[in-house]
Amino acid sequence: MTLPIQSSVAAETGNPSIEPGPQEGVDVEVSLESLSQWQLALRRFLRHRMALVGLAVFSAIILIAIIGPIVAPYNPLDIPGARLEGGDPPSLQHLFGTDDAGRDVFTNVINGAHISLAVGLFSTLIAGIIGVIVGAIAGAAGGFTDNLLMRIVDVTFAVPLLFLILVAAVFFGQGSMIALILVFGLLQWGLIARLVRAQFLSLRETDFVEAARAVGVSNLRITFRHILPNALGPVIVVLTLLMASNIVLEAFVSFLNFGIAPTEATWGNALSNSQGAMEDGNWWWAFFPGMAIALTVISINFIGDGLHDALDPRARL
Amino acid sequence: MTQYIIRRLLQAIPVVFLISVICFFLMLLAPGGPQAQFNQNRFVTQEQVTVWLQHWCLVRNPGPLDILREYGGWLGVWNCQGGSLLSAHGMPNFLPAFLGGGDNGMLHGDWGISIYLNQPVLTVILGRLPVTLLLMTTAWIIWLTLALILGVIAAVRRYSLFDQSVTLFSYTFYSLPTFWLGLMLIEVFAVSLHWFPSQLIESPRISPGPFASAIWWQAFWTNPGLYGWDVAMHLVLPVTTLVAVSVAGDSRFVRSAMLESLNQDYVRTARAKGLGEGRVIFRHAFRNALLPLITNGALEVAFLFSGAIVTETIFSLQGMGYLFYQGLLAHDYFLLMGIVLIGSILVVFFNLVADVAYAVADPRIRYN
Repeated sequence: MTLPIQSSVAAETGNPSIEPGPQEGVDVEVSLESLSQWQLALRRFLRHRMALVGLAVFSAIILIAIIGPIVAPYNPLDIPGARLEGGDPPSLQHLFGTDDAGRDVFTNVINGAHISLAVGLFSTLIAGIIGVIVGAIAGAAGGFTDNLLMRIVDVTFAVPLLFLILVAAVFFGQGSMIALILVFGLLQWGLIARLVRAQFLSLRETDFVEAARAVGVSNLRITFRHILPNALGPVIVVLTLLMASNIVLEAFVSFLNFGIAPTEATWGNALSNSQGAMEDGNWWWAFFPGMAIALTVISINFIGDGLHDALDPRARL
Repeated sequence: MTQYIIRRLLQAIPVVFLISVICFFLMLLAPGGPQAQFNQNRFVTQEQVTVWLQHWCLVRNPGPLDILREYGGWLGVWNCQGGSLLSAHGMPNFLPAFLGGGDNGMLHGDWGISIYLNQPVLTVILGRLPVTLLLMTTAWIIWLTLALILGVIAAVRRYSLFDQSVTLFSYTFYSLPTFWLGLMLIEVFAVSLHWFPSQLIESPRISPGPFASAIWWQAFWTNPGLYGWDVAMHLVLPVTTLVAVSVAGDSRFVRSAMLESLNQDYVRTARAKGLGEGRVIFRHAFRNALLPLITNGALEVAFLFSGAIVTETIFSLQGMGYLFYQGLLAHDYFLLMGIVLIGSILVVFFNLVADVAYAVADPRIRYN
């Protein structure tokens, strides 16, 4: 079994005999040698049953987000139900019932999926990219740069983040999805940066980095080829969890009417509409959008759990 | 240790300062503002508006430089009346009043005015603090106790039916959005079953005055049972909401800390010595598992504040979280600044408490 890091060291030294080649060795040995770190991780992930269930459910939700609006029973702009006070309870015609404006809750839940997922995914991507870059710079450079960057990160940790996010969403969001994504992403990279930096500091002292340095690999190459790929495991796990929490966050911000414009069908907006309805006992307004959020978050959390076991096997208890 | 605490406190000053800068500029760079309501009000003359704005260093349609001045006025560095860095006495404005400095801004203890309530920010916040404190302390104590009990039992009976149910419970509740859980609790226990009230901290019918005000306390002491019971009933649903979500995360944390502790050599030694299982678990393993929990418990204060916004808006509890929500709706600059500042100071403070408590509890840790 050869770790990619070691094989790249071998490539550096120009010693071809260590390189796994197709011409040498028996078949079994070759297949053993060609198992990379990521392939091993994939194997461990596939062994995690709940993670697979989570992955299946999450894939289904993504599928619904993409093709859902086409197969949904009603057009999101239609008002199929009667304008009743309080809407209709769930029935065969309206699986999740209708709200007071006569909108089909089932259609709303399906149409809300892509916005919730997009906000969760892209805000996490932004936070991840900034966090990895800042953390890598801080961890690789050290000294003054490291100190300065980490003090900036401290600032984002010293404030209850929800306060800042709400302030930014209210004053700059103005109902736009892109603004909301930017607000979430730009305020949440601190955790990732801190994690990447910690990984860098510990990986910098490991033997394989030492070995790479000894054979004269440049600092830039050590950073990107040797340290960064190994630092990414825990980062991916945290990013999954961050994505789940950002989906909830979007729903909450929209629930307070500070998020996506109320004319859009999102899970948060559906919950927001339901606030008065709860008092009248119209539980279906809030129940189904909430269940959609919960299901998404649970499936992502299970995937995160599987990734944790797959990418960070030492941390398993 | 004293040196370490002092150094940490000094380090906190630039952090809190930076937060206030970010928050202030975020709010004032954005279009719109609280002055808009004056423009609509025909009982307010333009002169009055100008005087009011100048008193708080505010300008109409501020540019970046104006915002810098507004921030200076809020901080107490800028003299709003004179329009300079010098106070009326000709000394730098940031000096204390008795040294000839000004009297406006945070540095002089003036938190500004809540524009939409027309009351000093500090008065408003202090008036709302008791509800938040009561809600948060109750929830915090209950959830830490529950998490400890559940986590320890789950760790000791690893892979038992109990352990599996705790795991299932925590995964489910950890993933539920807090505010949605609150809504569902209202639906079931307030609307359908009528067991608990769903709104406010006390029944308006029997409430003698705002919660924890002087009048309220007077009435409370005449009949503690009645008022205490009323508040307790109103606390049930919001506290349950907070506890359910937080216990889910923390019981996992306790479980893994306890498992790690149970795998240590000294636990095996204790067992080998022939100590009773109860003694091994509580005297040897549990005490060491507590260490990471001290840090976690203190760090969760930041989470408590976020939780306050969520639960207080859903259950209409007149605390700081609800105040923040109302401030956001009204674009109330000074009020929002005040709450963010208090929140940040508390978070910084409890981070320090966490580190110090950890050092006190664990003799291996030394800060210097």
